[in-house]
Amino acid sequence: MITFDGVSKRYGVHQALRDVSFTVPKGQILGLLGQNGAGKTTAMNILTGCLAPSGGSVSIGGHNVMTDPRLAKRLIGYLPEQAPLYDEMTIRSYLRFACELKEVEKSAIPDHIEKVALRTGLTDVMHRKIGNLSKGYRQRVGVAQALCGSPEVIILDEPTAGLDPRQSSEMRSLVRSLAGEHTVLFSSHILSEVQSLCDRIIILHHGKIICDSALRALQCGERRLRALIACGEGALLPALHSLKSVQRVTVERGSDPGTTQVILHVSGDAPAERELFTLLSALQYPLLRLTPVEDSLEDIFLQATGREG
Amino acid sequence: MKAIYRREIQSYFYTPAAYVFMGVFLSLASIFFGVGNLAARSGNMLSFLSQMSYVWMLLSPVLTMRLIAGEKRQHTDQMLYSSPCSLTALVTGKFFAACTVLTAAVASCFIYALIVAIYGTLYLAETLVGFLGLLLQGCAFIALDLFISCFSRNQMTAAVAGMGVNLLVWFADVAASAISVKAISSALQFISLYQRFAPFTQGQLSLSNVFFNLAFIFIMLFLSVRVLDARRWSEA
Repeated sequence: MITFDGVSKRYGVHQALRDVSFTVPKGQILGLLGQNGAGKTTAMNILTGCLAPSGGSVSIGGHNVMTDPRLAKRLIGYLPEQAPLYDEMTIRSYLRFACELKEVEKSAIPDHIEKVALRTGLTDVMHRKIGNLSKGYRQRVGVAQALCGSPEVIILDEPTAGLDPRQSSEMRSLVRSLAGEHTVLFSSHILSEVQSLCDRIIILHHGKIICDSALRALQCGERRLRALIACGEGALLPALHSLKSVQRVTVERGSDPGTTQVILHVSGDAPAERELFTLLSALQYPLLRLTPVEDSLEDIFLQATGREG
Repeated sequence: MKAIYRREIQSYFYTPAAYVFMGVFLSLASIFFGVGNLAARSGNMLSFLSQMSYVWMLLSPVLTMRLIAGEKRQHTDQMLYSSPCSLTALVTGKFFAACTVLTAAVASCFIYALIVAIYGTLYLAETLVGFLGLLLQGCAFIALDLFISCFSRNQMTAAVAGMGVNLLVWFADVAASAISVKAISSALQFISLYQRFAPFTQGQLSLSNVFFNLAFIFIMLFLSVRVLDARRWSEA
C-alpha cells in the first residue's frame, strides 16, 4: 500500500533522511519510532506530499506522490503533530470543508460527516466552535478530518502528544479501531503506546532505518529466563555455563542466603528449560522459580539506538 | 477550488478581517466623497475614484496577510498540501475570495454614484469605467500582496511587508515622473499600477490597461504557486 524507495531528504547541510526504504502492506499498523529529530515527521511529510524528497520516490496504492499527487493524496488522511484546525469554524463546517477537500461527493457529505463524528465521539459537540474545544476534543477533530473521505491510509504523527492519560487511552482505542479497515502509519516516541498498537515497528535514528521488524519477532530475538535456584553461586555458575543453549549468565543481586538468582540469555527457540531441569535434577539443586523475562520495547529501542551511537 | 473559496469567504466574515477592511474602506470613501464631492459641490465621481485608488496601498494587506501566512500559523497548511487540491486551486481559491470582499467594498461605493445621480449629473459610462479600473487595480494589489504573504510565517510580517511593497510600487510611480533618463522612466511607467489606472480616471476604457492588469494578476498568482511549490523542497 505504501512504498518508500531509497528516500532521502536534505535541509542544507543537514541530512534528515538517508536512503529510507520500506513497504507497508494493506491493513497493517506500522509504528514509526525514533528520538526527536530522528526523521519521523520528515518521512510523514514526504509521504503526504507536504515535502518533496531530495532523492528516491514514495508511492501510495501504486501512485507516485510527486508525479501523480492527486490520485495518491485521495488515498491518505493525515493528522500532523499539531492538529490542523480553524479555530473560527464549528466542527460541522470544518468537517464539511475536509470532505470537500477530499472530493467526497456533495450529496454524500452530510451522512459521511455523521459517520465520522460517531466514530470519533464528536456527535454531541458538532455545533461547537473549534477554538473553544479542549485539547482532547481538538485532537479528535484532527483524527476526524483525517478520516474524511474514508482514505485507505491513515497517517498519524504523535496523536497522543499533549493529551492527559485518559485522553491518550481514548485516542489509542480510536487508533486501534482503525486496524484492518485502514493501513495506519503511526509515529510516537512513547514506546508502550507503539507496543500496544502496532503490528510492526520501524526505528529511525539520525534519518536511517536501524530496525524494521514485526514486533513479535523483535521480542523473540533473544529470550531471557530468570531462575531462582537453592544453591551457592560458586557451585552453580560453572554448571550453568555448561548448558549448550545458554549463551550468557548474569547473576542478580538480592537473593536470599543459600539461593542464587540468575538471568539466562538463551538464543532463539533453544530448549533451555528442558536442559536446565535435567542439569539441576542431576545435581540435586532445587529450582525454586523459573520465569521468562520479556524484553520491553524500551530495551529494544535503547539497544538499537545505542548500537548506532 | 470551490472548497477553498467558500472556506475563505466564511473565514473573512467569521473573523474581524472583512469588517475591518470594509469599515476602514467605507470610512475613507465617505471622507473623500464628503470633502471632494459634497463640500465642493462636485459631481465628478472619477476624481473620487482616483483618490480611492491610494486606499489599496493600506488595505489590500488586511485581506491578504492571513491567506498563506495564517495557514502556516495554524498548521492548516499541512492539511491543504496533503489533500488532492492542487496548489493552483489553493492560490486561485484564496485570491478570488479576497477579490470578492474587495468587490463588495467597491460595489458599496455605488451609493455615492447614486447620490450624485439624484442631486446632480452622473456620467454613467465614464463612472462605470472608473469603477472597473478601481476594481482591477485592487485585484492587482491583492495578487501582489498574496505573493508577498507566501514568504512569511507570520500574519503581521505579511501585512507590513505587503504595505512596504505597495509603497514601493507607489514610489516607483513617483520616481517615473522624476527620473530624467527616459528609458528608466518609461520602464517604470510601463509597470506602474497607478499609471495603468490613470486612463480609467479619465473615463477611457483602455483594453491594453485591462489586459496589463489581468496579466499582472496572472503572473503574481503563478509566482505564488511556484514559491509554495519551492518551499516543499527547502522547508524544514
